[in-house]
Amino acid sequence: MTASIEPTPTAAEARKTARQMRRFDNPWLNPKLFWGAGLLLGIVALGILGRIFWDPDLVFTGSAMLKLPPVGFENLRGQAGTLANPLGTDGGGRDVLALLIIGAPNSLFVGVLASLIGMGLGIFLGFTAGFVGGRTDDVIRVLSDVMITIPPLLILVVFQSAFGDVSLTMMAFLIAGFVWQSPTRLIRAQVLSMRESGYVQMARLSGASTFHIMFREMLPNLVPYLFGSFIANVTTSIVTAVGLEVLGLGPQRIPTLGRTIYEAINAGALIQNLWWWWGIPTALLAVMFIGLLLINLGLDEVSNPRLRKLS
Amino acid sequence: MTAYVTVKGLSRVFDVSKPWLNRVLERRGKAFLTAVSEVDLDIEERTTYALVGESGSGKSTIGRMLVGLLRPTGGEVEVEGVNLDRETDRAKVAKVRGDIQMIFQDPYASLNPRWRVRDIIVEPVAVKSGDTEGLAERLLEQVGLHAADAGKFPHEFSGGQRQRICIARALASEPRLIVCDEPTSALDVSVQAQVLNLMSDLKEEFGLTYLLITHDLTVVRHMADRIGVLYLGRLVEEADPTTLFETPKHPYTQMLLNAAPRIDGFGREVDPPQGEIPDPINPPPGCAFHPRCPIARDICRQERPRIRPLGATRVACHLAE
Repeated sequence: MTASIEPTPTAAEARKTARQMRRFDNPWLNPKLFWGAGLLLGIVALGILGRIFWDPDLVFTGSAMLKLPPVGFENLRGQAGTLANPLGTDGGGRDVLALLIIGAPNSLFVGVLASLIGMGLGIFLGFTAGFVGGRTDDVIRVLSDVMITIPPLLILVVFQSAFGDVSLTMMAFLIAGFVWQSPTRLIRAQVLSMRESGYVQMARLSGASTFHIMFREMLPNLVPYLFGSFIANVTTSIVTAVGLEVLGLGPQRIPTLGRTIYEAINAGALIQNLWWWWGIPTALLAVMFIGLLLINLGLDEVSNPRLRKLS
Repeated sequence: MTAYVTVKGLSRVFDVSKPWLNRVLERRGKAFLTAVSEVDLDIEERTTYALVGESGSGKSTIGRMLVGLLRPTGGEVEVEGVNLDRETDRAKVAKVRGDIQMIFQDPYASLNPRWRVRDIIVEPVAVKSGDTEGLAERLLEQVGLHAADAGKFPHEFSGGQRQRICIARALASEPRLIVCDEPTSALDVSVQAQVLNLMSDLKEEFGLTYLLITHDLTVVRHMADRIGVLYLGRLVEEADPTTLFETPKHPYTQMLLNAAPRIDGFGREVDPPQGEIPDPINPPPGCAFHPRCPIARDICRQERPRIRPLGATRVACHLAE
């Protein structure tokens, strides 16, 4: 009897060890990254599948009855939710599900685009400052130090009010103007310290080209910082974009999560107990941020071998 | 024996001025730090030349100028009869540069943490697109590690093992001169001996010439064929180890040897060295050592002593005899 019981825990243990070893060898299989990417891909999938299986024309005003609740709930007028609008409708008769399908990927797009542009600028300026030094370094350093002290929302509010209606891409460009400073400073600092390290000196005295030193020697060491900085920037960009939209700035005709919340607040959704109008977009934003945070933690583990443990 | 490296009147001045705005506001001029000042030395082929001195005496700067990481502000370095700064024939310079390698003080910072040991070791060859097949494995075994270690990352090794990897990397391009910048100061005493023995063995095996930069007098005594003592960027005394340790001529060398702790010296009263190394931005006139020197005379305060032969020694002191 004991013989039949014993192999079971051993086999389970062996499986567990094998799983841990796999995880150690291939750090991309870590649960944080898996869940984080899953959440974000879920939002992307919502956008793609939603456009196929749901009618995106329902985002137009008056496409359904006003202020209908989600299925299984009743609104203050005693109307029950219907399957035609499973997540209810807003004060303008727009379907909330359709708003999410169109709006959520838009918010994500603004964040990713702004962050990509910001990182590109930051990498370029950081390497230039660190490598060239002298006057160039002074200019870049002072510029990024000054920019970092300016609260972006304040400037953007002014900008956006002046521009009036803007496109999503335009908004991403405007936000990108405020997220390049931290990667610039980070990369400059790392380049300066690495330039004096033994392995860069070694490469130099062996006659390696500047290109080789930058991209083969230095960049791999910057990967954890770059990943972290990129995801952090996406988060900042989305927060900034949503902040502007909730204030009623940003794109006026394109549905975004922030704009939906703005309209809900503006139409008195809180006092009328239309919780689905503002609550569901807010919950989706929360999911987005949790996903980004998990990706950040997961990437850290991938790019920093010392964080990997067999447990 | 021919001189493999000839250094003549080598100087290096660093601009250590504050930023322009601070200079204007505080009404100060530019500041210059003389790290190395008119150093003459010859290194014979297949010997170990040791440079000793306190921190800030310019020994690392000399090493970095020799390998070409820094340009001298004055004087010249000739390796294999080629002046590396003036020579216009690129092929000649490239050939000589390839014969020089370096080992750094901190084995933790001198290996790229994201590269595998194999790539690290063959790098000096790979950047010149040479043949790297099996090279890393062969070198690892030569420095006492396993060929299988080539696939690992640097963080899987201890300090002593990392320094062995650094040595393997320095050997990869088959150099003739290796500049060792404090190769053992970051290591445990027990590991230091192993690394030094390895370096001696490799020197015999490959016919290497070493420039050993260190502040550790015991290391110098075991390894060096010729010792140069630096003080504030100036070469003050040069001799073979026996002569230097038994009959030091320069008062600074005497002070340095007296201050070194000895194994058999328990209960010995040690007179700590008097004074501090002076500010290299504003060095004293005449002999740089005169503010701390017990036998300084007027001439020491006015005239800088030239280095001159004295028996088996070369010394820069007006009063040594």
